Amino acid sequence: MHKLLYALLVGLVGAGIVHIVVLLLLPQFSERDAWGSLAETADLYKAVRVDEGNGVAPLVRLEDPLFSASACRFDLDDGPVHIKATGNVPFWSVSIFNRSGQNVYSFNDRATERGALDFVVLTPSQMIEVRKAMPESYQRSIFVQVQIGEGIMMVRSFVPDPTWKEAASEFLEKMGCTKEA
Amino acid sequence: MLKTVILTLVVLSISIVGGGASVWYALKANEGMGAVRIGQWTAFPSLGTADADPYSKARVAREGILALGRAEGLTFTAERDANGEVLLRQCSYEIQGPFPPARFWTLYAADPSGKVVPGGEQRLGAIHSYQFLRFTENANLISAGRHPAPGNWLALSGSGPMRFLLTFFDTPIASGTGAADIVLPTITKTGCDA
Repeated sequence: MHKLLYALLVGLVGAGIVHIVVLLLLPQFSERDAWGSLAETADLYKAVRVDEGNGVAPLVRLEDPLFSASACRFDLDDGPVHIKATGNVPFWSVSIFNRSGQNVYSFNDRATERGALDFVVLTPSQMIEVRKAMPESYQRSIFVQVQIGEGIMMVRSFVPDPTWKEAASEFLEKMGCTKEA
Repeated sequence: MLKTVILTLVVLSISIVGGGASVWYALKANEGMGAVRIGQWTAFPSLGTADADPYSKARVAREGILALGRAEGLTFTAERDANGEVLLRQCSYEIQGPFPPARFWTLYAADPSGKVVPGGEQRLGAIHSYQFLRFTENANLISAGRHPAPGNWLALSGSGPMRFLLTFFDTPIASGTGAADIVLPTITKTGCDA
């Protein structure tokens, strides 16, 4: 009897350890995370719609029916990434996520002059290189310095009513997500 | 000898089943650490950021969430009305009260699996502040239900449990520490279809 009680106690302690281990390892081994589902659909540096706009199931959990969104994956180890979009939408916002889907940086259209979306994501060391010789194409860009390698960039666009759908689609589908050499 | 083997098996099965099930349960619950509760509304300001607790991090990875950033907005979820009863799609509710400062907000209903409750055939099941009708003395009132209502109507359909999601965009409550001090609208049940 004593032995059984002892076994139950050890079992509970073990359950605690398993709980902590599973919890901490889950982010590393999850295949259903945002990166995984985006990787199934599109290559790096290819912006895709992640909402139900194209009649397909949403790629990531993006519930708000009044928003459309587009995302692309990038790898800063290959160089900075330049994101540009033009169009007229009532509100847009951008989030940069790291490989495991954590939001590392975000801003919205109020952060830019005339609401144009033009920004460069790069690491601090790449920023030093860029400062030495500013490329012509970066003249009007916002620089976002993040200390990550692989990452996801997502642009959300507000669609107040169906008449805005076309404008939002155009804004998101013309979005460029290009690697700068 | 056999006794030792059985006891070892007991220890192992309790550990693995108990540990796994407790993680699963903890991730399913909408409570958890890092939650800010205001009235019936719950928000997770640190969800999906680097300072989130391990439970939020595991949830983000498991469900493939790409959370709203602090410069984007903050979502509040309500699963119960002011009397503590579960929100049902076949009931009508009045959502009334102050809305904290934000550039705009959106409100919609979702079923327990996270799918948006459609608003019927012709109507989107969501409303936002740009199309919001304000009453005299700045009273804010939203009627949510399956039957059309005057003023601000959030159309619902179907039956079963649901939750309301109220998201504030470009708002100081998401970026500051002020999320705990704000006042949010109250949800009152006005009636149910039999």
